[in-house]
Amino acid sequence: MITGYGHFVQLAESLQWDETAIDLTTDIESWTKLEDSEYDQILGLIAGFCVGETSVALHLGSFQSKATVDDAMAGCFEAQARDEARHARFFDRVVGEVVGVPGKNLNERLQVLRERVSPELLELFEERLPAIARGLAESDEELTTAVGLYHMILEGVVLTAGQHALLDALEKLSVPMPGMRKGMELVLRDERWHIGFGSRVIQSADLVDNDLEKILNEGSKAAWAWGDLISSKDIEKVDQLHKRRLKSVGIKFW
Amino acid sequence: MTVEETLAPPEAPRWLCELCGFIYDPEEGDPDSGIPPGTAFEDIPDDWMCPICGAEKSDFRMLEPGEHLPGM
Repeated sequence: MITGYGHFVQLAESLQWDETAIDLTTDIESWTKLEDSEYDQILGLIAGFCVGETSVALHLGSFQSKATVDDAMAGCFEAQARDEARHARFFDRVVGEVVGVPGKNLNERLQVLRERVSPELLELFEERLPAIARGLAESDEELTTAVGLYHMILEGVVLTAGQHALLDALEKLSVPMPGMRKGMELVLRDERWHIGFGSRVIQSADLVDNDLEKILNEGSKAAWAWGDLISSKDIEKVDQLHKRRLKSVGIKFW
Repeated sequence: MTVEETLAPPEAPRWLCELCGFIYDPEEGDPDSGIPPGTAFEDIPDDWMCPICGAEKSDFRMLEPGEHLPGM
């Protein structure tokens, strides 16, 4: 059982944080001292987050507009959109101030960073998600199908895998990056309630077998979207969490 | 209060994951994770994680009897 939408709105209010207040001074100094392999992994993951968080922030409005029968549900989407925008701003601070990616704004920096992002991640965040959002806006897409992609797969599998991988990588670095670590912990904290909210929507919906099987299988496939930036052991772990989550919301395939 | 109500064991409390809103109900347990129905939260192994968000047991809080959560 998962709590009601009103609880999530209150929870979101209590978790607000300011991305500009995170001190990145030590991270800026440490960045130039990273070993090559550390640099490649951290930058690859950060680039993926920049693409992912920007896309989810951009497209959540369509979900909110579709939640017309339940004000509390719409309130959750609104609160989530606020969080995702904050995440995008945090990662842009990191790439601008710590990494030093050139560009006058986020969009310009994204054009540079996209080269480091796998085709699978780009396809999920720059094609699949916008297509679902357009479908919602044009009324031929069901909200629960969209939540299945967004919350269960993109957030529950892809971004969760990336968050854990980045936190693990930051912990093992040869130099300290406390600002990035603090920001990531706060991002992960936000994402947990987003996933809980999405699970609630799925639990309450009357999904047919085809939809459920699609969420299951697409989630397992999406776990590999980060390529070799994440270990196969961690991919397996997030896939198991995905299956366990679906079972908990009443989806039983086995 | 009837005799049966007096002798009935108190209902085991439910626990709320404060990070994602999942409610652990001892009557249901979490069989897919090896926690049979009827297992009190305190008796769940310490390495058990929230099935929705992966949070630890320490991220849960007990719901008071009759506690009403918004939207429920």
